[in-house]
Amino acid sequence: MENQDEIPVEPETESSTFVSAYEADDWSNYKDSDVMLQQSAIWEEDAAKSPFVGDKEPLTSLEAEYKSGSPILLEKIKVLSQQYAAIRRTRGDGNCFFRSFMFSYLEHILESQDQAEVDRIKTNVEKCRKTLQGLGYADFTFEDFFSLFIEQLDSVLTGNEVPISHDELIVRSRDQSISDYVVMFFRFVTSGEIRKRSEFFEPFIFGLSNTTVEQFCKTSVEPMGEESDHVHITALSDALGVPIRVVYLDRSSCDTGGVSVNHHDFVPASDDNTPSASTGETNPFIVLLYRPGHYDILYRK
Amino acid sequence: MTSPSASSRKTLSKIATNRLQKELMEWQVNPPTGFKHKVTDNLQRWVIEVNGAPGTLYANETFQLQVDFPEHYPMEAPQVIFIPPAPLHPHIYSNGHICLDILYDSWSPAMTVSSVCISILSMLSSSSTKQRPNDDERYVKNCRNGRSPKETRWWFHDDKV
Repeated sequence: MENQDEIPVEPETESSTFVSAYEADDWSNYKDSDVMLQQSAIWEEDAAKSPFVGDKEPLTSLEAEYKSGSPILLEKIKVLSQQYAAIRRTRGDGNCFFRSFMFSYLEHILESQDQAEVDRIKTNVEKCRKTLQGLGYADFTFEDFFSLFIEQLDSVLTGNEVPISHDELIVRSRDQSISDYVVMFFRFVTSGEIRKRSEFFEPFIFGLSNTTVEQFCKTSVEPMGEESDHVHITALSDALGVPIRVVYLDRSSCDTGGVSVNHHDFVPASDDNTPSASTGETNPFIVLLYRPGHYDILYRK
Repeated sequence: MTSPSASSRKTLSKIATNRLQKELMEWQVNPPTGFKHKVTDNLQRWVIEVNGAPGTLYANETFQLQVDFPEHYPMEAPQVIFIPPAPLHPHIYSNGHICLDILYDSWSPAMTVSSVCISILSMLSSSSTKQRPNDDERYVKNCRNGRSPKETRWWFHDDKV
């Protein structure tokens, strides 16, 4: 009866324990049986090994991973280490892009205490809310996720009070009831942005998955665990107005001899007439390391 | 019956309870066409009456859906089955289990009971033949110990029906 603590004292839930024989015999006692989805078994295995968001590790830990592997990758990691000092791994559960973004953003706010940035993103979050309403989403489907994100923002930048500690931020990022809700918040925002600008995203989506924008959002954005591609990153970056740098670590090499590491900056399309791209170099504070199929967080030197 | 299973079923979390109360309210104001929620005081299990759409193979037939909500709804999908007798349909097993991606892999918290109902009705309406899935007997036999459809590895290979 350990879950009794959580039961709100409302009549609806009191009556929700099962009483009839049919119900009791029905589904409940086979939870741990051997018929669980293989997929979730794999995820659980992965979960046991790694938290949603790992500890900060020196870049040498990445090197160790490829010790007996591809020489090109080892070369590239060397190049990386000239600019970057550390990596923070995220769990490979299909939510790694959103989870990396979440931690990276909140950590930046906690460390910078940048009130202007928080004000700016909150304005954009309100726009996203309007977008979803305009697209016909019922408020109750997304409002819990929105308020949970705002709550996290308010906990890292509190105004007069002391913000949460860095350790507490890590604890929260590893707490499924917070972490998954924030990931889902980003999924709503991403889906809303893609649908709102469906004409812009349509050719990319068609090239990626040969489906309609509507179908893509329903099957590849909104369900948890669906991996992110450049379409998702572009949409999230645009919707929230947050630039994102993705550094690519793969086996590709150029024939000119020298090994270099490619990166791509996702710079939000601004709706005023001063596109930040033209005003000079952007230097996104969110830097993610992409290895085929997975995103982690990178830290500059 | 005081089987241990009765208590192993986890009660709804606070967030789930709140969400379901809002969904129920919305349903009462704006129920999806062809569906009727049978009023009970059990928020964790909804029984919904489905009327086959006019002009389809299931016109004038009535079925019952049973929707069970997990502790962490809507992060986790509800379990949705037909209470037998289930409609004769190539994706619906005689024990009421439904092969439909949004109930499993493709579930998202952006969906609602109402949108799930609409998807199920559309699946019924687009059917051109009244028959059970080919593997009905085998599948139902495998489920005899009370296995939930959420524990099945579904293959969603046929989107024509």
